[in-house]
Amino acid sequence: MNIFLHELKSYRKSFIIWAISMAATAALFLLLYQAISSDIAAFTKVLESVPEALRNALGFLVGSLSTLPGFYSIIFTYLLLCGAIQAMNLGISIVSREVSAKTADFLLTKPVSRAIILNAKLMATLVSLVATNLIFLAVTVPVALSQDPGTNMQLFLMISATLFFVQLMFASLGILVAVVTRKIKSVVAVSLPTVFGFFIVGMLGSVIGDKAVRYLTPFKYFDPAYILANSAYEVSFVVTGAFLIVAAIAMSYLIYVRKDIHTV
Amino acid sequence: MNIIEIRNLTKYYGKARGIVDVSFDVGAGEVFGFIGPNGAGKSTTIRTLLSLIRPTSGSAAIFGKDCITHAPEIAKDIGYLPSEVFYYDKMKVIDLLRYSASFYKKDCSKRIKELAERMDLDLKRRIDDLSFGNKKKVGIVQCLLHEPRLIILDEPTSGLDPLMQQTFFDLLREENRKGSTILLSSHVLIEVQRICSRVAIIKDGRIIRTEKMSELTENNYKKIRIETGRITDDSRFDLPGVSHLERKDALLSFFFKGNINLIMKRISEVEISNVWIEEPTLEEVFLHYYQKGEERA
Amino acid sequence: MNIFLREMKANLTSLFFWSLGMLFMIIGGMAKFATYVNSGQSITDLISQIPATLRAVLGFGDFDLTKASGFYGMLYLYLLLMTTIHAAMLGSNIIAKEERDKTTEFLMVKPMSRSRILTAKLAAGLANIALLNLVTMALSISIVGQYSTGEAITGDILILMAGMFILQVVFLFLGAGISAVSRDPKISASIATTVLLGAYLISVAVDMSSSLNALRYLTPFKYFEAAPLMATGGFDVISVMLSLGIIIVSGFATYYFYNRRDLCV
Repeated sequence: MNIFLHELKSYRKSFIIWAISMAATAALFLLLYQAISSDIAAFTKVLESVPEALRNALGFLVGSLSTLPGFYSIIFTYLLLCGAIQAMNLGISIVSREVSAKTADFLLTKPVSRAIILNAKLMATLVSLVATNLIFLAVTVPVALSQDPGTNMQLFLMISATLFFVQLMFASLGILVAVVTRKIKSVVAVSLPTVFGFFIVGMLGSVIGDKAVRYLTPFKYFDPAYILANSAYEVSFVVTGAFLIVAAIAMSYLIYVRKDIHTV
Repeated sequence: MNIIEIRNLTKYYGKARGIVDVSFDVGAGEVFGFIGPNGAGKSTTIRTLLSLIRPTSGSAAIFGKDCITHAPEIAKDIGYLPSEVFYYDKMKVIDLLRYSASFYKKDCSKRIKELAERMDLDLKRRIDDLSFGNKKKVGIVQCLLHEPRLIILDEPTSGLDPLMQQTFFDLLREENRKGSTILLSSHVLIEVQRICSRVAIIKDGRIIRTEKMSELTENNYKKIRIETGRITDDSRFDLPGVSHLERKDALLSFFFKGNINLIMKRISEVEISNVWIEEPTLEEVFLHYYQKGEERA
Repeated sequence: MNIFLREMKANLTSLFFWSLGMLFMIIGGMAKFATYVNSGQSITDLISQIPATLRAVLGFGDFDLTKASGFYGMLYLYLLLMTTIHAAMLGSNIIAKEERDKTTEFLMVKPMSRSRILTAKLAAGLANIALLNLVTMALSISIVGQYSTGEAITGDILILMAGMFILQVVFLFLGAGISAVSRDPKISASIATTVLLGAYLISVAVDMSSSLNALRYLTPFKYFEAAPLMATGGFDVISVMLSLGIIIVSGFATYYFYNRRDLCV
């Protein structure tokens, strides 16, 4: 418990800043919704004149953009990007800090097993991410309602929840990376290329609509079109994602418990 | 009862040698010295005892329990001071010490205060504002605050001024009198000499010798220097038991181990103007082992 | 010269992996182009009818995606994103690493002024980003060339790479400046990349809504956009001036603050 509280305290300021900046970004984008709604109306007209087969192919573009959750689901990609960076930074830093701050000799000679130490750190990560998402929702929900009082809240919340899921994936990836490496000098030097790499793979994949690419990048595990059309997530991706999280965490435990801690 | 039992402990870092076949015991209530030059394997041994690293082969037990499998349990009664101390930068000293105390299910607040007073440590300052020596003091308090049964010190005195070293050694002696066992690694031999009752000497990853301090310094060796009026044939002193035979102008010096009468007879054969027969310092004894090891290898 | 070489050597592996990343992005991106073009003329026609703001929201941009050059123009934004991240992190790390790795005392007591140390480090940084730029350029020309059926793309790529290099220098100096000003070397890279991320998000928002057009000079990502560069073949004067301004101001700040700061051990 003491380790958990200690970790949570040292990351409190960081996750509050992240949550507020992300919420502010989301609010800024939401405020754009009304400004571009006329463009959307014009485009919907264009679509009506094209053959039906084509309209279906592009169907999600129409359906999605004409409602606030639809618009939100598309700009949400950028919030996922920020959230992923936060989560991966947190995952890497919470495990590697004992090595980079050279406090491993302090913590690991205390009468607690390494599994308990990693437990506490994982719990602190989880709680930080939950708190981030709650703060985020506390800001974005009122803003969304102010823009469109008739917002479909179920869809809005389902889209927002993907942030948490994607964050969990990146946090566990970060933890695994930190456990495997001997020493991480700079957290962002690892997290940024990784997160942006996945992000760009996802962006390029989505322009083309390539199905296989979707399994490669956590950013594409939740297809907005599918969520909007079915009010549900795609089971195969949720299962794959959950499996990857569990696998990464399990491996982290196995490695961390046996890891040699070297002198500084 | 032995507090520490190390059996054939071996650690390789990939192909690089850490320690090879290290075995020794430390009994209850002992102050045990662990000496060797830099890179000999002192820290590797200690870090294995603390289960910070895993041995390649062999085993080590503390309080009769295996170091790796029972690490958390054993750690309850261990205080450890590394050679370089690092703590969380943004904490105050008192917060760090409280955090440290929170791991040992007992109230240590009185003891923290006591120790801080003894070490002249300001509890309210932030750790990152402290000097190297003051951080070391935090380390000492952190190491002793839960009254551990076994105190492990890895090159403990670096960064402390002589006065603080004195206080620190006094503290250690008190703890020892109260029943704590102490394992102290060092390459500063004088500090081992000051406090330890038994020592193990490590070189190139192997224990060369485990001996009582008294045997090491008193019984075995004499350091003999003679000043001769004129330069004589020194080969007469090249006896079994003589080592480090050296001449500097009129001064001949060497170490001798063996029947003292034999060497006295030889000395009487030459005309001398002065003679010193002294106990060698541990430093000199140590140097002796160190070089003999090289000859053997 | 010794510091310069030391920094070059220290960043060599990282430069290699970044180059590898660029290779994958260009190959992957252009491979998509091949499948995309084959997917049928009518969909691409339809996409070209989407209003510009919506295209921005959807990530298509202002390009004729049926042409290799247009597709590359879309890809360019992401190449830009990667190379500027590289530059910002390099700039801040090259300054902050001595304090982070506790090697300040080693380096700063050498008989050399801080300004000269900085100059050597910044020169190494510039050489690094220039190398990454050249690698990207060579890869782009050879790979995109495979897909362009008779279309002349080398000129377009050269001007895009020139724009990219200016932005890389901008972010290198921004990163260095932030590191020199900030007190805590550990977080300077985070600040630099936060600035970059903020700039990127602003540029996305500007694309989406014409009412935000006033913000376009706030974000360097709007200075050298692929579409106008490829259309006009030249730089926007204001953008170049602004870039130079940022470089000069942060360069000056780097020297000024680094020479005056208390180096922590």
